[in-house]
Amino acid sequence: MSAEVLAKVVNLLSFVALGLTILLIVRTSLEGQVRVFALQSFVLALLSMLIAAYSESLELLGVGVALVVVKGITIPRVLNRAVANIGLQRAAAPYLGTAPALIICGVLTIIAFYVMTPIAASNPLPTADAIPLAFAGVLVGFFIMVNRRRAVTQILGFLMLENGIFLLALLATYGVPFIVEMGVFLDVLVAVLIMEVFVYHIKDNFDSIDVGELGKLKE
Amino acid sequence: MMPLSLLLIPLAASGLIAIARRRALMELLHAVAAIATLSAGAAIAVEVWSGKVLTAAGDLFRVDALSALMVAIITFLGAIASLYAVGYIRAELDDAHLSRVRLFFTLFHLFIFTMLVAVTTDNLGVMWIAVEGTTLATVFLVNLRQTRTSLEAAYKYLILSSVGIALAFIGTALVYYAGAAKAGDIAVNWSALRAAAGSLNPEVVRLAFVFIVIGYGTKAGLAPMHTWLPDAHSEAPAPISALMSGVLLNVGLYAMMRFKAVADAAVGQEFAARLLLGVGLLSLLVAAVFLVRQRNYKRMLAYSSVEHIGIICLGLGFGGYWGVFGALLHIVNHALSKSLLFVLSGNILLKYHSAEIREVRGLLHAAPWTGGLFLAGTFALIGLPPFAPFISEFIIFRAGLENHAWVAATGVVLLVVVFGGMLASVNRMLYGAPPADLPRGDALRVWLVPLAANFALLLVLGLTLPSPFVAALERVLKVLGV
Repeated sequence: MSAEVLAKVVNLLSFVALGLTILLIVRTSLEGQVRVFALQSFVLALLSMLIAAYSESLELLGVGVALVVVKGITIPRVLNRAVANIGLQRAAAPYLGTAPALIICGVLTIIAFYVMTPIAASNPLPTADAIPLAFAGVLVGFFIMVNRRRAVTQILGFLMLENGIFLLALLATYGVPFIVEMGVFLDVLVAVLIMEVFVYHIKDNFDSIDVGELGKLKE
Repeated sequence: MMPLSLLLIPLAASGLIAIARRRALMELLHAVAAIATLSAGAAIAVEVWSGKVLTAAGDLFRVDALSALMVAIITFLGAIASLYAVGYIRAELDDAHLSRVRLFFTLFHLFIFTMLVAVTTDNLGVMWIAVEGTTLATVFLVNLRQTRTSLEAAYKYLILSSVGIALAFIGTALVYYAGAAKAGDIAVNWSALRAAAGSLNPEVVRLAFVFIVIGYGTKAGLAPMHTWLPDAHSEAPAPISALMSGVLLNVGLYAMMRFKAVADAAVGQEFAARLLLGVGLLSLLVAAVFLVRQRNYKRMLAYSSVEHIGIICLGLGFGGYWGVFGALLHIVNHALSKSLLFVLSGNILLKYHSAEIREVRGLLHAAPWTGGLFLAGTFALIGLPPFAPFISEFIIFRAGLENHAWVAATGVVLLVVVFGGMLASVNRMLYGAPPADLPRGDALRVWLVPLAANFALLLVLGLTLPSPFVAALERVLKVLGV
């Protein structure tokens, strides 16, 4: 595979990944949102395996496999279990509705290109052109998280943010070293498991998973 | 080898406590581990401050003077808090809640372990993993009481810290990217990165440092990313509050200091200094506003942590020999005085069963030891001589008057506001008539004995700066490139 072909494929897949992040805003069913996240993880795994093949890096191949196992399969299962247990189907309840949220996503993408294009230009790797797309994914994931009231959907926003950061590191440097990447996956997995426990606790204590109800602690 | 044994002790203790059945055994393991960790930490600090750099497991762990300072703070205050924790947990959780007791002691040592890994590793990525680990280890400790408010505090803490630390990862990846272009594969290590710092792409480093300040600043409790801190620090059990406020915030600062050393070499000192002065002053302002009419004494102590981390950032921002020296000294002084006060806040809570300031009346009369020590500790914290924080605050603002006079002057005004606000609140707690049905006498009086060590150090550092200690701090300054 030549560098130009790789650059085109990477650009395309990064675009798909950003599109999936934005799709999270549009989908209303929780199950559908979990599927969007799982799909995005598979796209990222495919991307890292492609880059692994191009750079002949066995470590990066391992990262891709771990990504499928942790974020493609395990975490979606955990989330689906939580969704089934709390018996909640419709997810949304965001602070901003779909239309204004999409406009903000557009603005964030423009900001991402504005900030990241000069930095990407100095990067010699063939994957560098897509760096602004990855950064846009980070910003949009962050926005989704802040815009949501319900615990489960906040977790999804957090995971999309994580995926965006993974993509950013992948494009900029072909990923951080193997041991670090594995540690990050472990941390994310444990964090999601703890968050799941908290979703149950919040449900038991407040009879809802609307984190807007968490408003006792002030000053 | 020495760094490895330091890490293995708390890890092993955590594992053993998790499978222990009897409470007495858990407490024994806990106390032994605390003392053993302290001894290992002290041995390392002595070794490193005599001029060595310890490494272990290839280039994964590397303990220089800055790491040794953090190791000393973590292990010393860890030991103080663990001794008090035995008594405090006995009073809070009876044998019917044995599983929660086990959870507490297990996570306590896991928490210490993650902090020690964060400050002893040479690898930026492993440090990031360990700092996220500190959040994961403490989130159930914040929710130990399992009330609605503690649940809320723990959830906020988990989400906000995770997001903050995720942003720090962007900064880490960018620094790694800047370094990988220059120093090759080893750029993920501090030592290699520092060596190559002069030739890194300044644009990338600038952007990276902004993310680092936002990300690790969240862990350090800097405004405006501090909103989780008053909740988490006030809801956690007292020994954990003491460690979170006195020690864990410093781990966030530690990460920022490491990156600052790289950024200074890559883009010049002015950039990082401006950023730190901005967040430092904002933290002081936010803390002052919330401290003036604070109704909850544990939240008061938590906001005071925001204030002091802000002061430390001002010191780092003022820069130069005295600014950074003052900041390092203030890290030590704040850790000593804040952990002391949080331990005492546990005693007040056990006595009055309320964290509201208006519920606490006549503390000096009802619990003379707790009240007297709380007053002395407050004096130390707000910067009255002869205690050590007076010296370090003086050094920091003296350094600031020379190059950033307006920032320093504003800081001093805010300091006076905090001074008045905290003294008024503590005053309301100490005097007046205690509730009629409240029995006289201190809770857990024997368990307060270890606090004598905090007071002794606060006085020694306040009256004379011992020359071995100054020499140790100067070694740290060298690591930071000052």
